[in-house]
Formats: sequence, C-alpha cells, structure tokens
Amino acid sequence: MRKPPKIIVVIGVSATLLAVLPVVYLGLRLFEGFDRALAELLRFRTLELLGNTGLLVLAVSVSALLVGFSQAWLTTRSTVKFASSFAVLAALPLAIPSYVMALGYMSLFPKFSGFFASWLVLTLATSPYVFLGVTAALVRIDTATDEVARTLGLGRFKVLTRVTWPQVRPAATASVLLVALYVLGEFGAIALLRYDTFTRAIYNAYQGSFDRTSAAALALVLLLITLLIIWLERRYRGLYLANTKALGKRLRVDLGSWSWVAMAGLTSIAVFGVGVPIVSLFVWSVQGSASLDLPMLLDALWGSVRLAGLSGLFIGFFAIAIALWAVRYRTRLGAWIETLSWATHALPAVVVGLALVFFGANITPWIYQTTWMLVIAYLILFLPNALAAISTPIAQVPKDLEDVSQSLGVPANRTLVKVVLPIAIPGIVAGVGLVALTVLKELPATLLLRPTEANTLATRLWDATEDLAYSQAAPYALLLVIVAGLPALVLNSQARKALSEVRG
Amino acid sequence: MATLNLRGVKKSFGDFEVLSGVDLLVEDQELVAVLGASGSGKSTLLRLIAGFEKPTAGTIELAGKEISSVTKVLVPEKRNIGIVPQDAALFPHLSVSQNIGFGLAGWSSKDKAARVAELLEIVELTEFADARPEKLSGGQAQRVALARALAPRPAIVLMDEPFSALDAELRTRLRLDVKAILKKEGATAILVTHDQEEALSLADRVAVLRNGQIVQVGSPTEIYNSPVDIGIATFLGDSVLIDGEVKNGKVLTRLGALNPLNKVTEGQVGRVAIRGENFYLLPNPKGEGEVVGQVFFGHDAVVEVVTRGVKIRARSNGPFAPEVGMKVSVWVRGSVNFYPV
Repeated sequence: MRKPPKIIVVIGVSATLLAVLPVVYLGLRLFEGFDRALAELLRFRTLELLGNTGLLVLAVSVSALLVGFSQAWLTTRSTVKFASSFAVLAALPLAIPSYVMALGYMSLFPKFSGFFASWLVLTLATSPYVFLGVTAALVRIDTATDEVARTLGLGRFKVLTRVTWPQVRPAATASVLLVALYVLGEFGAIALLRYDTFTRAIYNAYQGSFDRTSAAALALVLLLITLLIIWLERRYRGLYLANTKALGKRLRVDLGSWSWVAMAGLTSIAVFGVGVPIVSLFVWSVQGSASLDLPMLLDALWGSVRLAGLSGLFIGFFAIAIALWAVRYRTRLGAWIETLSWATHALPAVVVGLALVFFGANITPWIYQTTWMLVIAYLILFLPNALAAISTPIAQVPKDLEDVSQSLGVPANRTLVKVVLPIAIPGIVAGVGLVALTVLKELPATLLLRPTEANTLATRLWDATEDLAYSQAAPYALLLVIVAGLPALVLNSQARKALSEVRG
Repeated sequence: MATLNLRGVKKSFGDFEVLSGVDLLVEDQELVAVLGASGSGKSTLLRLIAGFEKPTAGTIELAGKEISSVTKVLVPEKRNIGIVPQDAALFPHLSVSQNIGFGLAGWSSKDKAARVAELLEIVELTEFADARPEKLSGGQAQRVALARALAPRPAIVLMDEPFSALDAELRTRLRLDVKAILKKEGATAILVTHDQEEALSLADRVAVLRNGQIVQVGSPTEIYNSPVDIGIATFLGDSVLIDGEVKNGKVLTRLGALNPLNKVTEGQVGRVAIRGENFYLLPNPKGEGEVVGQVFFGHDAVVEVVTRGVKIRARSNGPFAPEVGMKVSVWVRGSVNFYPV
C-alpha cells in the first residue's frame, strides 16, 4: 500500500477536525449542564415540536414520493408526449431555494402559512430529488422483465406493483430518506411560513433569549433524530440491486387516452413548482422596481459572490486533499477521514450554526463574528457535497497513467500535480463551482453567524421578508434563482445524467 | 394439430413494412427455428405472437383460438405463452425459485413448490434455488429463464436469440440442454436466430425469414441440401457460385459436368452453388489448381484454390490440408443445386 504525501495527511486531518470539533463541543457543553438541558426538554413544548416536525417530515416524504415517482415513471416508461420537456420541468424546482418558493407563495396569498403551506412548498421543492433518484433506477431496469411478467399472467398495473416497483424501491427509499433529512433540517421556508418545527424553535430560542441552553438542547434532539434518519439511509443505501445491464432497450407503456390526464398532471406540478412562485416574484419585482435600491442590491450580490467564491476555494482545497487520499491511496486512516467527512452530511444547518456560535464564542473568540466563522460553517455543511463532486473526476484518472509517469522518473507527489490533477481539473472546477453556488443559497447558518455589517442576497431577502416588504424581497429572490439556482442545476451531474437518459 | 397458425401477418411501423405477409404453422410439440439476418423482422414476429404488437394485416391463432387480428389483440397475460428474452431478463429482486414460480399465481402452494422443484431439477439448478439472479452465470440465467417460461405449461414458448449473449463453447452445450429440456416438457416452441448453425442443429423445422417474408420452410436437411434460391444457399453455408448450362441432364461448368440435385430443363442457363465440403482436393504436381490461401481451424481448414480461372473455397481435413503454393486437382463430389437465371 502506498503512503500518501504528508501534506495531504495534514490537510485532511485538519479539515476533519474543523468539521467535527464544534459539533462534539456542543454535545459536551450540554452534558455539563445536563440537568438544565433535561429540564428544558421535559416540557410539553418539546413534544409539540416533535409532533409538528414528525408530521411534516412524514407528509412531505409521502407526497414527494408520489409526485417524484409519477413524474419519473411517466417520463421514462410511458408514451406521454413531450416526455423530455416534462423531465426538465420536473427537475427545475431544484433551481429555486425552498425559502424563495415560500416567498413566492406567501407574497401572493396573504394567509398562506402553517402546516398545509409548508407541506405544499416542501413537497414541490423536494420531489425533484425523488424524480432524479427514481429516474436513474428506472432507466436501468431491463424492460424485458416487464414483458416476461406480462406473458406470465400479470396485467399492466400489477407489472408496475410487482415488477417495476420492487426494482426501484431501494432508489426510491434512499431518495425519500434524503427528502426526510431535507425537511428535518429545513429552516427558511418553514420559518417564513410560520410552522413550528425544531429548526424554527431553535432559531427563535437563540434569537429571543440570552440563555442559549434551550436552543442547544433542542438542537441536540434534532441532531439525534437526524442521525437516526442518516443511519436508516445508510442501511437502505446498501440494498441497491446489482443491475445486470445498464440501459437495455426501453419499452414505453401506451397510455392511450390517459395520456391527456398524465400531461395535465405533469403540467400542473410544473405550474405550482416553478410557474406560480416565479411569476409572483416577477410581478412583485416589477411593482417595486421604482423604489429598488440598486446600490444595495449590487452590494448584496457582491457580498454573496465574494463569500461563495472564498468558501468554494476553501472547501475545494480540503476536498481535493481528502479525495486524493481516499481515492488514490487506500489507507485505513484515509478511509476513516473520508467517512468522518461524510458524517456531517445532512446535519441541519441550524445545528451546525449554533454549534459554531458556542464554539466560536468560547474557544476561538478571535474569529468569532468574522467571515471565517461563516466559511468554516460552510465547510462543515458542504464538504460532503464537494467530496462527492471531486472524488469522481479524480477516481476516473486511469491508474496506469500514474504508473507510466513514475516509470518515466517523476516521483509520486509530482505525478499527482503533473498528471492526476490536470486531467481531473474540469471535474474539480465544476465541483467547486457547485459548492460555491450552494453556499450562495444557504440561509440559516448565514443568519446565525454573519458578521454584523455583512450582507448577502439571502440575508437581504430574509430581512425584507421579516418586514413583509415583498416588493423589496422579490428582486433578491429572483437574482438568487438566476445566479445560484439555475447554474447549480446545470452543474448538477445527477440531474444532467437523469435528463439525458430520459431522452435516450 | 397445429398449435400456432399465422396467416398473412403483416406489420408496418409508419411507412416501413417489417413483415409483409407471413404464413407459418407450428405443430404440437414441435420446435421451429425462424432463421433470418438482423433486421429481417424476426423479433417483430415474436412480439406479434406474444401480443406486444398489433398486426397491420392477417391473423394469429393459438390452440384453435384467434389471439391477434387487425381489430382485436388479446393482452399478453391472457395468451398462455412463455417468452425467453435474449438476455434472460430475470427479475433481479427475486430468487431463482421465485423467478420460476412467478407465473404460477393461481396454483396451490403445494403444487407450486412441486412444479418449481421439478423444473429446477430439469434445468439442473436445484442447488441454486435460493440464489439471486446476479450470482448466476449467463448459461445458468438462460436455463432459469427457460424454466420460468415453461412453469405455467404454456401453449408455446418463444425464444428470442437465447444464446447470442453467451460464448461459443457454452452456446453449443446450452443448445443441447435446451433441446432436451423442451422435449422432456413436451413443449411447443419457436426460436428466432440469425445463426444458421443454431437453427440447423436445434430445430425440428427451420423457417427462413427474408425481407419480411418466410421464403422457405423445411427440415434442417431439406433446407441445407435444397435451398429454394441462391440467396438462401449462400446464407446457409459458404458456397461458391459458378455459371453453367444444362446439357443432357447435367450442368456443364468450368469445373466439369455436374449432377443437379433439383429438377432442370434442357438448355437452361444459370448458376450452381457448390459448398466447401463438396470439393475434393488432391495434391498433384501436374494439377490445374493452385492453392492461394489457407485458413486453419484445427479440425478442418478452408483452402482457397484458383483453378481454370475460378476461385473456390474448399473444406479440407485440417491436419492434411494442402499448403499455399501447392498444385492440386479439384473434383466436385455429390450433386449440386442449379439455379436458372
């Protein structure tokens, strides 16, 4: 087994420490004040939050599954017209941050709030995840199995339930758990729509009082629920079926006159998920254009871009080191570091933000309330995303090339720099770009940790919405979709792949 | 009794006619191979019989009942047919036994278990009963697919190039297995293939499909020995075509007067098709032929000879084949098919 260069080890280990320490610290602090934390939790309020959060997670999971699965099946396996256009539309809500979607609706309907509103917005925002996951699984099924099942006595609907569904179930389950994690950690949309879940309660407890024990205790409960779901997701992720062959011939079910019903359904989901919020925001922007403070908008845009760029480079730097370590040198420590980096995946941003508030205020006051605190928060939140995006291009560089380079007298370290990285660089750049765009859209950790005078598109949008100044918030929302959402969707390799396969 | 009866079946996709009037009878317990090049419409024919496509003309009857016509197509699940796809297409989420028992929905659990056990034994995979499909080799997967199709005792089994994904050695073995399994089950079956060796070695009867029509049906020996036209003759085996004219009941060619197999009329002009194995080469320093090429296969060899201005390819015993540059005498053994132009 080859040993990784020291520099890679140092960078990798420090990234992991940066990511894990604050969360561990939050736990330790709570353990110290265990009695008080317990007293905080043993209140009816906690039960209420648990109920509210659970209900929303469950409801959105079910509806997102139904919507996403239907979209995937109709666009890949039926004769519905304009299938590839509908597939693009099904993925498009990914370009709209959920709090932007919430803003679009609440600015249109004054009474749009509470459970139903949160459920609707989050279903529309998360069903693309199910759509993409199930599509990827559906296109890998050999449709000859459907035909065999037909000749063995199954009708069309039974083929769907007994042959198609069991084959996509692992992918669907993994997608739904992803949706559950998303809803559990969601803050912006839920807070705007005033539905009481853990994330909103944590934020309010933090903002509303000097005693932060309550916020920390609630954060810990949320963390435990999250870990439970992550554990479930890991368990089910292993169950992906070994597909005998990718992309065999694909036969489509003739919908006949049902085609129109299907088209109506797909169209209305697109209208609700993309059309309504975007049109609403557009109308508000036009209405408020006379009083638009352009310098303020440009200042926020610059603030966002600077922060996102800085964070993207910072996270990319660590991710490259860890990816090189994990992919090119398969040492045990490297594997551990990679696993640990993944562990922060799907931690609710509110919990990470709060952990960093505690850690920063008590241990590292010299960077507390500076941009660096935010950058570290983004590192914790998005290192897994960066790793996922950067590992693939690095793994795809043929090992033979490294061997050839070394046989020609170039030492291992220089081979990495002269051969591996240059070949992988397009993928790495795309990965860093994707992470930067994700940073651009981040809301809760940004709100908790922002330096007082720093403003971004997301924080400006938030401040204006809290004042119910929709015409002021709308341009920021639209700008977020244009500069962050759409480019992110284009860079998203999973989305690109699924969409091209629907066409195939 | 005819199990399957196709009458004037046509199928077009848009303006493109894939099948232009297919007539085919398959008798009970018979194995018929439909032999055709790729694009000849073989798979479409199977999909029509299975009920996945609707004919643009003609009818299909199965066990005396009309199952397809221009106006009415019985759904696949009500046809009582079994299909074995090219790549087995086992249900990846079910075990081998569950795959085989999939079509036995109405059966009691006791009968079902007995039937599955019986088939596992017939396809010699009893020890794989609980295995997942991804654990099987290509040949094993095909045997499971066949068992799954046979389990509900279908009126007919349709096999779509079932051996094409396998390597050569396995293919030969599995062919014999499949034939034995089908006979043991007393099943009626259609096999479509582009491989003439497969069709000839496996089938009770071979139907040659060309340009959307069945151009010849017969036993493998009939098809091989008496192709009705020159196209089939060259498709079925490596043949050399030589011009000739009928004189005194024989065909006069540059290689001498040959005995025609088929009926000829005096004075006809045309071509004879001579197969590689009909040539006999004798090394002879004064011979008129010269060996210009040789492809060695081990058990036999193909020897290219130029003689009297004609280039022929002769099959020869591998180890004793004449070598390049040698002079040989050439004879044509047996009778040949004559095709007037």
